[in-house]
Amino acid sequence: MLINPADELPIYRQIMRQITEAIAGGKLKSGDKLLSHRELSEQLVIAPLTVKKAYDELELLGFIETARGRGTFVAAKLPVPDPDADLERVRQTARRLLAQAYLAGMNFEQVREILADAHEHLIGTHKSEKEKA
Amino acid sequence: MTPILEFENIARSYTSGVPVLDGVSFALAPGEVVGLLGRNGAGKTTLIRIAMGMLYPHAGAVRVFGQSPIENAVAVKKRVGYVAEDQVLPPGSSIAELTALHRYLFPRWDHGLEAELLERFALKPEARIKSLSRGQARQVALLCAVCHRPELLILDEPAGGLDPAARREFLETSIQLLNREGSSILFSSHHMGDVERIGGRVVLLDGGKVRLDRDLDRLREDLCVAMLPRGSAPDSGTLERIPGCLHARPVFDDWHAVFEGAPEAVERRLNDSLGVNGTRCVRVPLEELFIEMVGSDR
Repeated sequence: MLINPADELPIYRQIMRQITEAIAGGKLKSGDKLLSHRELSEQLVIAPLTVKKAYDELELLGFIETARGRGTFVAAKLPVPDPDADLERVRQTARRLLAQAYLAGMNFEQVREILADAHEHLIGTHKSEKEKA
Repeated sequence: MTPILEFENIARSYTSGVPVLDGVSFALAPGEVVGLLGRNGAGKTTLIRIAMGMLYPHAGAVRVFGQSPIENAVAVKKRVGYVAEDQVLPPGSSIAELTALHRYLFPRWDHGLEAELLERFALKPEARIKSLSRGQARQVALLCAVCHRPELLILDEPAGGLDPAARREFLETSIQLLNREGSSILFSSHHMGDVERIGGRVVLLDGGKVRLDRDLDRLREDLCVAMLPRGSAPDSGTLERIPGCLHARPVFDDWHAVFEGAPEAVERRLNDSLGVNGTRCVRVPLEELFIEMVGSDR
C-alpha cells in the first residue's frame, strides 16, 4: 500500500480506495486478515487515527468486519451491489473517461488499451502472485 | 473529558508592544494530534512556550492537564515531552550522561525504549553532544523528550534542518508513541507532507488569530480554491463578504479565494452571485491551501 500526501484524496480515502480495489481485483478475499491499526500506521508512517477512520468507514460500508480481540477481516459476505445504481455509475465514469481521453487527443483504440492495462493491473498481478505461491 | 491542553483567549505581545497572539483559543483532546501551522513570525513558538510555562500570557489562560503550567510547573512537566525549535543540549556531556540525568529526573523513564531508540538512530552512548550532526542532536533531543513516555508531546519544528530520511525516522518515533501510549501531540511544522501524515487536525495561525481549525480530512473535502478573473470583483472584501468565503487575495490577473463547499457548488454560486463566467474551483492539497490562506498578494 502506498500513500501520497499530495494526492487529491485525503489519506484515509487513499487507504479505503486501495483496500476496495484489492477486494475488487481478488487480491483480498473474504476472511483475509488485514493489518491491525497499529501495524498499518507504523508501516505507512501515518497517524493511527487515520487508519482507524479508514477501517471504520469500510466497516460501515460492509467491506470489512472486526472480530473483537482477533483482528480485522475482509467481510465474509461482501456488500450486495445494487445493479442499476452500479451500472449507472460505471456508465457515467465511462463517459467522463472518454471525454478526458478525446480532449487529450487519444482515440478509442488507445482507451481500449488503457482499459486492458488497468484490468491487468487489478486482476493480472493477482494471478502472477498466485502462480508464485 | 478534560482536555490535555487548552488555550483560552491567549494574547501576548513582544516587549515592543507589537501583538503576536491576539485571542487564540483551541484545545487538544486525549490522543489527538494537532499540527500548528503559520508563516514565520505567526506566533507558533510563542504559543508553544506559553504551553510550556516558559512565557506567561498577557491575557487569557492556558491549562495543561487542567493545571497552570507556571503554577504547577513540576507536576505538568513530568507528564510532558518537549523539543524546542533550537534545543540546546550541553555540548561537553556525552549522550549517556544526558540520558542518566533524565532517568534521574523522570521516574517513569523507559530503559527499553531508550535502548531501542539509540539503536534505531544509530547513536553511540559515549559520543559527546558537540561531536553530533544537527540531525543526530535532534534525535537525542527527541529521545530525551519521549523516553519518560509523556502523555503530551510538544514539538516545535521537529524536522527543522533534517534530511528527508531523518525526518521520516522522527515521524516514525512519534507515531510509535501515539500507538503505544495514546499520547497527544502538538507540533509546529512547515513540512505539509509531514503534517498530513501524522496530523489529525490543523490549526493555522495568522495575524495573531486562529484562521483555521479543522480535521485534515475535512479540510480536503470541505474547502476549495476558486480562481476568478480580476474584473469580477472590485476588491478582496467583496469576495470575502460572499457567504462561505474564508479568504481572498489577488494573484496576477486573477482572484484566488478559499471557499467552504464542493468545487461544483461553489462555482455555481459564484457565477450566480457575481454574474461572471470563467470561474474555476479546485480542491487543493494542504500546501496549496496554506499558501492561499496566508500567502501575500501578487
